[in-house]
Amino acid sequence: MSTVRDRLVTCFQAVFPDLPAAEIPVGTQASVASWDSVAAITLVNVIEDEFGIQVDFDLLAELDSFDRIHEYLCAEMRVP
Amino acid sequence: MNVTEALRIIQHAPTDAPRYNVVLACGFTPLHLQTFLAAYLQQNLASRRVTVSTGLYGDVAGTLEAHTDIAAHGVTLALEWPDLDPRLGYRGAGNWGTAALADILSVTRAALDRIGAAIENLPAGIPVALSLPTLPLPPIFHTPGWQTAEAELALERNLLEFASHITRRRGCSLVNAGRLAENSPPGNRYDLKSDLLTGLPYTVPHASAVGAALARLLAPATPKKGLISDLDDTLWWGIVGEIGPEKVSWDLASHHQLHGLYQMLLAALAEEGVLIGAASKNDPVSVQQAFLRKDLLLPPDQIFPVEVNWNAKSSSVERILRTWNIGADSVVFVDDSPMELAEVAAAHPGIECLRFPKDDYGAAYAMLHRLRDLFGKARISPEDAIRLESVRRGAVFQEMAGGGSASEAFLQQSDAAITFDFCLSINDPRVLELVNKTNQFNLNGVRYTESDWKSRLSRQGALLATVSYQDKFGPLGKIAVVQGREDGETLYIETWVMSCRAFSRRIEHHCLKMLFDRYRADAITFEFMPTAKNGPLQDFFAGIVGDRPTAPFVLTRAQFEEKCPPLYHHVGEPQAGQT
Repeated sequence: MSTVRDRLVTCFQAVFPDLPAAEIPVGTQASVASWDSVAAITLVNVIEDEFGIQVDFDLLAELDSFDRIHEYLCAEMRVP
Repeated sequence: MNVTEALRIIQHAPTDAPRYNVVLACGFTPLHLQTFLAAYLQQNLASRRVTVSTGLYGDVAGTLEAHTDIAAHGVTLALEWPDLDPRLGYRGAGNWGTAALADILSVTRAALDRIGAAIENLPAGIPVALSLPTLPLPPIFHTPGWQTAEAELALERNLLEFASHITRRRGCSLVNAGRLAENSPPGNRYDLKSDLLTGLPYTVPHASAVGAALARLLAPATPKKGLISDLDDTLWWGIVGEIGPEKVSWDLASHHQLHGLYQMLLAALAEEGVLIGAASKNDPVSVQQAFLRKDLLLPPDQIFPVEVNWNAKSSSVERILRTWNIGADSVVFVDDSPMELAEVAAAHPGIECLRFPKDDYGAAYAMLHRLRDLFGKARISPEDAIRLESVRRGAVFQEMAGGGSASEAFLQQSDAAITFDFCLSINDPRVLELVNKTNQFNLNGVRYTESDWKSRLSRQGALLATVSYQDKFGPLGKIAVVQGREDGETLYIETWVMSCRAFSRRIEHHCLKMLFDRYRADAITFEFMPTAKNGPLQDFFAGIVGDRPTAPFVLTRAQFEEKCPPLYHHVGEPQAGQT
């Protein structure tokens, strides 16, 4: 069964197809050039599709790195 | 389709395929609408690589005006009320009071005029797909929400006048608001939070629905060409062989109106050039008597051929397809029996099988609309009006010719006349329609958009011949198109299609003769590519050069003249006013 991390990597691959696999887990809005405001919303929608949750737009500014999104998802999914 | 699926479709588009560039003009942040539009277009245009570019935020007219000289393959416009006046949206900060309404009406009229002019000024031949405002107006009127305000009607009237005017431009089509409402209920379309925080007013499902609707207008599916119907419990209620021809029914009084509605739709389709045939396991005499009834809503003379026998349905379908000379994938088969549908589907891969749901009103309603969608087309051509008659004449022609290839005496006495029109008529929609829907006699199967086609015909040395035919059995109309270019001493043929209705008349030979003679060519290069369906054209070339070609090839005049049979057609060019 895929972990939250694996599934989140898949979401990043969908939105940033040109981002090398090694850079995904360390990716931040500052380090990924194509991670603009439009991509941020698209990423949130892809995460909603993948995890079946609703992400509040108010959180967009905070979800600015792979790690932070992973942390948020673990909390939402109640994964220890 | 969700956002993830849309992104996947876009990312899997063929990288080396020819581009299909679309402009999306909308006043809001396009976001998922752009993604969905690209994905649906990519699905409809699998052999192209679709790109969707957008314009300036809040400036629909400016986006359209900026594209008057850019070679886009298509333009889409997703209009919403704030594009006509920012006060008609939730992101503005103007006056919503009654006093502002007169000014809002005046501003919207001016905005519509500007958008209309921008659309008119787009290069001819670029298709435009337009969606009128899909979101509700904000609460600016003095009436409660359940009552329509007079000013609201005035806004709607301005919009409809604009739409009615602009859709007269050739190639401009409008999303059907009723169908969009079925796919995206009005109450589920607007997302205030997304509008205020991101600038995209659409919910994700609504963005998907609008994207799909615009993509369908810009890259529509090829309409089906023929419908084969069962008779008992399908065209009419009842088993004619059991209850008799006078007892089968299809009217409201007998509670069998579903069959009457089906007949009415088939009659309308026949009028639009769709071929209607019948395949029934039945007693031929009973069917003949039923067809004599004056109250049939589908005139029996519109049904051809009628296959009534006790053999497998698939063999009747086989004979009908042969008479029509079209592939199974261009045909819909309707029957009330799931077993018959399965038997026909197994024997004829690609045929679209629909069950006639005689006892299910909801399913019948859906089937009627499905049929309209399968056969719907943007316009009716003069060729549509003569298609059935030309198929009948073709059947007579084949019968008199003795089946396969016609005898010399028969061809000699056919009084056949071919007209070659060499006008580079970029504005004749029949020419491109013929190119894009012909499968069997098709040089390479390449399909063109209007702008692709126009640019081909605009090149130095471009040639185009549109071929019409008639004989003593009647006219077949425009039945072939040859397109190519002269480059120095070399003649290249890039497109050559001929309607399957015109086979066995040596028209294809005369087309080659015309090319060699008119262009004084010693050799012609054919941009041939084999396809799954162009076997008849491959066989034709094999008859001249010895083998079926497998790639582009050169045909010499000597090769052609050695194998060309006698040609008996009278040849002419169209008189002024005929093109």
